[in-house]
Amino acid sequence: MSNRTFPFPFTKDQYAYSNNSSILDPPWTLTVTEDYEKEITLKRKLLQQNHSRCFRSLPISIESQWEVMRLVFTQLSEAYPSHFSFTQKGKEFQFQNHLLNEEETFIFRDCTSIELEPMDLAGRHVQEDLILMGDRSDGLFLEAGQLCFPSNWSLAFVLGMEFKSIHYPVPGITDNGFIEKVGRFISRIRPNTAWERKNWSITISEKLDTPLETYADWGRMRQEVTEENAGELVHLRVEVQRLFRMPINHDILFSIHTYLLSLEELIKNEQWLMLFYRNIKTLDDDIADYKGISQYKKEMLGFVEKTMAEKEKMNR
Amino acid sequence: MNTFMQKYYQLKVQKTEYVTPTIKTFTFASESEKLPHFGAGSHISLKLPMGKRQYSLINDPLQDESEYTIAVKNVGTEGGGSSFLHHHVKPGETIEVASPENYFQIRTEARRHLFLAAGIGITPFLSMMAFLSHTGQSFDLYYAGSSASECAFYSTIKKRYPDQAHFYFMEREQKEKELQNVLRNQCIGTHIYICGPSAFMDHYITYCKGLGYPDENIHSERFRPSSTIQNPKAFQVTEEQSAKTLYVNSNQSLLEALIDEGITVPYACRMGVCGTCEVEVCNGSVLHNETFLTEEEKKEKMLACVSRGEGAITIKV
Ligand code: HEM
Ligand code: FES
Repeated sequence: MSNRTFPFPFTKDQYAYSNNSSILDPPWTLTVTEDYEKEITLKRKLLQQNHSRCFRSLPISIESQWEVMRLVFTQLSEAYPSHFSFTQKGKEFQFQNHLLNEEETFIFRDCTSIELEPMDLAGRHVQEDLILMGDRSDGLFLEAGQLCFPSNWSLAFVLGMEFKSIHYPVPGITDNGFIEKVGRFISRIRPNTAWERKNWSITISEKLDTPLETYADWGRMRQEVTEENAGELVHLRVEVQRLFRMPINHDILFSIHTYLLSLEELIKNEQWLMLFYRNIKTLDDDIADYKGISQYKKEMLGFVEKTMAEKEKMNR
Repeated sequence: MNTFMQKYYQLKVQKTEYVTPTIKTFTFASESEKLPHFGAGSHISLKLPMGKRQYSLINDPLQDESEYTIAVKNVGTEGGGSSFLHHHVKPGETIEVASPENYFQIRTEARRHLFLAAGIGITPFLSMMAFLSHTGQSFDLYYAGSSASECAFYSTIKKRYPDQAHFYFMEREQKEKELQNVLRNQCIGTHIYICGPSAFMDHYITYCKGLGYPDENIHSERFRPSSTIQNPKAFQVTEEQSAKTLYVNSNQSLLEALIDEGITVPYACRMGVCGTCEVEVCNGSVLHNETFLTEEEKKEKMLACVSRGEGAITIKV
């Protein structure tokens, strides 16, 4: 990823969990970037190789899944009319993906008209992971998901879980009723409205697919970080997350677009370098542990401090 | 403030139709754009000369017809919204309409849906029954009215839902006895939806609770008056923790005033929707300008970004 379009997450000098959501106009839940083809190829490969890890659904989600699919195709064609078109002839809908030269046809709400579940199909045309949160009278429940690029969590584990329980592993998340208020905020999102927030973490190597299930493979790379290779290995990982209230079934579509930027690229922007440094330097230990940073924090900061010193010298 | 991102449409009245001598339907459509989808139980707000008025949509949410239809009973109050609509709003005219909202959604998880309607309270159930017929879920309608001829959509409902619709036109006492009997004999996992005059809703909500239905299984439609403060006034605040007293000007929010004074209050949205800026109210009366806090919470809390005190109040951050 080039740093031209990278959604840099830090706005303040010190990081703390907050409801950093802002409303979107137009309420589009998807973004197509220059990495579209590369990421779609990876996504489809993962789905083919590990389908049950990457797609899960409960029967209750089927109506909403149809709504998600129609919404995804509608929004793609509205936001990127030269890349996608979506038309209806009588009962039949036709979606055309001009970037990939593909076509999908279906009859809305007719499961015999498609070969996959609707969200599993729709997700193959977008870079985002798609999570469906059912809005039930006793909470928001994760009822379906197509998740190829998780930041160290497992779809199989959270399927059917309530919003608050999903967040229990996060340190301090229940302090001052934080996550409970976020849940309430989500439950009040109005129909056809979208909110966006950013979440960040750090990934070693440019790897989008870091599920809990394969931690043994990618987690050990955390031990390989040195001050010398940090620029190349360490990547700031930003998830642009969008919450959209689907009008018909009243459920929430949660889309996650993951961006990775190597430190090498990041340090080219001095403002970003400064903010990154201050936020990592002052990060609470339990959050650093949770995000897996503690193992290589020293080496990574060593690299950043060295870079800052060099830049200082050059500026003088 | 609560109108953030609410979209308004200039809609043309396509047709109007009397369904009973006092109830008329109005169908709206846009000449320039496709109208947003909506869910069963949704309503729209119309901007009328006397203010905003909310009416349930009676269309089928899955029909995708890009039309909004409402049914309005003329309650006959001079200067009221319903009599204005009945007498002055004719086909071809344009009305400003806010995009649909939904406080009365279908609960997909219900094993069975039981609708209890009185009079014009039938309206939200029309979209719900249409929706559930498509999705194949189990429902029943219990509809109380004074007579078949006064009962809106009587013949349509009877024809469309012959097995699910039950009508109650008898004496009040008899009606009550039979409806209570219905409520007593439901399977676990039934959700009850109640809509009608306030007294009707109160009565059956209390009755259902008494029978042991969980609160989450009882739903009722109450249109909330929009809570926007029209002319914000200055007020005085004492903050207990810091023992500071300050004035909030009419063009300033409580949150801004506290921050200006160096009192730290966490905040995020500044629109009354995230709950981050909540403070404790110790004394004084508050104009709540949001729907985030529950009625219970509003007794002792307020959101500093949008709600205001009246006269002088005391809070704790
Ligand atoms: C409704 C959709 C959402 C889903 C499905 C979701 C799911 C998750 C999951 C699976 C995790 C990782 C938990 C683990 O380590 O096992 C997580 C982390 C987290 N979530 Fe959410 N979340 C949602 C929305 C939100 C929102 C709206 C906020 C805040 C406004 C939020 C705040 C957080 C925070 C602060 C973390 C810790 C992340 C980190 O430090 O890297 N989540 N979420
Ligand atoms: S800051 Fe979000 S409710 Fe006040």
